[in-house]
Amino acid sequence: MNGGGRKGGGGGRGRNQQAQGKDAGQRRPMFRRRKVCKFCADKIDDINYKDTKLLMPFVPERAKILPRRISGTCAMHQRKLRTAIMRARQLALIPYTAE
Amino acid sequence: MNRKYELVYVISPDVSDDQVTELHTQIDAIVQRMGGQIEKTDNWGRRKLAYEIGRHKEGTYVLEVINGSGDLMKEIDRRLKVIDTVIRHLVVRVDEEQGVVERTRSKRTETSRRRRVARGLPPDRQPGEGQRGEPDEDRDERFDMGGEELR
Repeated sequence: MNGGGRKGGGGGRGRNQQAQGKDAGQRRPMFRRRKVCKFCADKIDDINYKDTKLLMPFVPERAKILPRRISGTCAMHQRKLRTAIMRARQLALIPYTAE
Repeated sequence: MNRKYELVYVISPDVSDDQVTELHTQIDAIVQRMGGQIEKTDNWGRRKLAYEIGRHKEGTYVLEVINGSGDLMKEIDRRLKVIDTVIRHLVVRVDEEQGVVERTRSKRTETSRRRRVARGLPPDRQPGEGQRGEPDEDRDERFDMGGEELR
């Protein structure tokens, strides 16, 4: 009973927050999804330079490497990702820049 | 000192298949001469390049996994630089990395098994187990990530 009430209240607050974000500006940060390292979550141990399918999401339109603060990748995997991307670039599997 | 290397080279697209195989035999000859061996050869075929190299827009990719010494790879590297039908090549040492990957993988399955036994479950994942609609891999240990640091 109590738990159910709390849940309902939480939901209400969430909605308020969203509305505030829209009209009152940056008073409270909008709800963000917690970022999880893709490689930890999916248990990808081996970030391989040959696997373009895996690497492409980390090099958006301008072909720059997606920073950690946006992708949520952990430090270790970002490092491995970087070497993999740099190797793939050398072999023209991934572009250095978008033309 | 025997190490494992991966060699990928990109051949210009206007080279015939015969020449591609000839190049492969050339490399094989060097490898044989310097006391190594080719473990695997994989021709990826013709692919579009991500950017133009010279005037080329496409290339034939060939991957070779070679067991051998550093000197051997140095020699191959030198030779590939000279051959102008090869427009790009890359040599990467892979044995250490593979070892690390294998170790983390085995460690993970081992801990997951131990935990499952501790929870009173059979050590291996049963078919049809897990959260809705998830593929039946060993993905149910997502929440164990924190535990690995604690040990």
